[in-house]
Amino acid sequence: MGKAVTTILRGAAPLLLLLLAVVASPSTVRGHQLDEYLQATLVAIEPGDVRLLINLTPGTEVAAQVLAQIDRDADGVISSAEAAAYADALNQDLVVRLDDHPCELSLTASNFPLPEDLRTGWGIIQLEYRVACGAFAGGPHRLTVQNRHQHNVSAYLLNAAQPKSPALQITAQKRNYNQSTGEIEFTVQAPPKAAPAAAIIGSLAALLIGGVAWLLKFGWQ
Amino acid sequence: MPRMKSTPLKSLIFLVATAACLATPLLDCEAQESASPATAQIISRAQTFLSTLDETQRGKVVYEFNDSAQRKRWSNLPTSFVPRGGLRLGDLTKEQRDAAQAVLAAALSPRGYEKMMQIVEGDEFLKKNDRGGGPGGRGPGGPGGPGPSGPGPAPGGPGAGPGGPPPGGRGGPGGAPMFGHDEYYISFMGQPSATKPWIIQYGGHHLAINVTLVGEQSTLAPSHTGSQPARYEVEGKTVRPLGRETDKAQALLTSLDETQRKQAVLGVAMHDLVLGPGRDGQTIQPEGVKGASLTDKQREMLLDLAGEWIGILPDATAKAKMEETRKSLAETWFAWSGPVDQPGAAYFRIQGPTVLIEYAPQRLGGDPANHIHTIYRDPTNDYGAKWVKP
Repeated sequence: MGKAVTTILRGAAPLLLLLLAVVASPSTVRGHQLDEYLQATLVAIEPGDVRLLINLTPGTEVAAQVLAQIDRDADGVISSAEAAAYADALNQDLVVRLDDHPCELSLTASNFPLPEDLRTGWGIIQLEYRVACGAFAGGPHRLTVQNRHQHNVSAYLLNAAQPKSPALQITAQKRNYNQSTGEIEFTVQAPPKAAPAAAIIGSLAALLIGGVAWLLKFGWQ
Repeated sequence: MPRMKSTPLKSLIFLVATAACLATPLLDCEAQESASPATAQIISRAQTFLSTLDETQRGKVVYEFNDSAQRKRWSNLPTSFVPRGGLRLGDLTKEQRDAAQAVLAAALSPRGYEKMMQIVEGDEFLKKNDRGGGPGGRGPGGPGGPGPSGPGPAPGGPGAGPGGPPPGGRGGPGGAPMFGHDEYYISFMGQPSATKPWIIQYGGHHLAINVTLVGEQSTLAPSHTGSQPARYEVEGKTVRPLGRETDKAQALLTSLDETQRKQAVLGVAMHDLVLGPGRDGQTIQPEGVKGASLTDKQREMLLDLAGEWIGILPDATAKAKMEETRKSLAETWFAWSGPVDQPGAAYFRIQGPTVLIEYAPQRLGGDPANHIHTIYRDPTNDYGAKWVKP
């Protein structure tokens, strides 16, 4: 009987230790949403330049899962190749469309914290993508952003940045409840028409030709 | 290399330059004498604090004004997770600690200073009452202390301060303490001056005060306040560090009519601060109900609510900032996300041309109103950007 109890206790020891660890973990740490992968995206739209600025913060309870997707060889180091591969994987999970036309994304900047920092739950992965969507014509436009990355453990924030250019105005932003998908409506002021400049140049050219012709015909005197 | 020929003009320039260099500290002393009593007191207390330190400590507490790494070294998280620069209060003698507190008391309004101390004492309460975080409690760990040994230490460098985080170490079980009033840090960016820009940085868990001073002007942007627990008792008295913010926001929401409320309440979940730590220099598109759509009384309520952050600075500075904010109230937005009938449980944002405030309750699995993060920014003047040419 005593031996059986000892065996059971031995078998349960790891479970008890795990339970103790959970009970002893400070609630403040749990309070920092450590069971979620917070993906905060700012969408910066300027004439001829659209960028996604993304901060990824895995909570401690999901950090191992996220880290496993980054540090593929599990050597405890995030190599440049692994960082690039993860940025590419996120890119594949992002869908950006301008006026219903799909846009290509290219990575322009990235910063990966150390794996041990990620495990603590405060490490922030920062990624910046340029959205290739061509020059904007004057008038209204609609940019949609969908983030499908790690959706089972993620919480999202999606916001349009305030444009620096006075030629572009955000008119509306709509998001689904969990902010994994958003639509930003904006208007672009039409660039000044080239016609007036061309007309001035044309007039000057005509004046010059006329002047030369007059000189040739009547000479200086 | 040909030797420069000495001329009377060059000699004169050399003499003038030398005299200017030698006179700079004297000029600053004279400027301090001509500073307002309030500014002179902040500088005087900062210098008194520095005079209580030994040479090693002084080397750790003062950074360059433009030290971009130190500027970013603030957070809502405990110091065991995000190491701060400067001197840890728990490592100071009583005289040094009192002198450090006196700097903060001079740089803030009495009301603002009281709020800061309530936040710090809330963290001490958390240390004594939180499971696993009691006296001597240890957190799950984080990077070691920054161990600034002078201007511009490398982030995450080895911790050097006695009693601080383990040298170079990662916390973890047996690692650095997480909570309590010992775990707050003070540093200056730039030397205390009546003429040159400098910053007082003070913070730890749920607190990051960045007061930038440029002559007689000062700004609090960007600064973070928070509280957990949001309500606690000391000697039978209930303390709510962010209670006025919570109550005034709820009152403003309640005052909105159906049309206004429909505009103010966003149909999205706000999980955290959008422009919190690490988002310096970024701005977002305003949302919610615009000040122009509010009644005069509601606009006053909005201003009064913003005043809970603006009023952390001394009255004269706060008054000027309140006037600036008042002038653009019609262009200031109020947004809400979350329950409308649980005070403190919902996210809200105030956003105008020269002010951005966010209030974000954190989900604890229990009462969301018990753990709050807030941020205060000025899109035009974080770290005194409009007064200081790069």
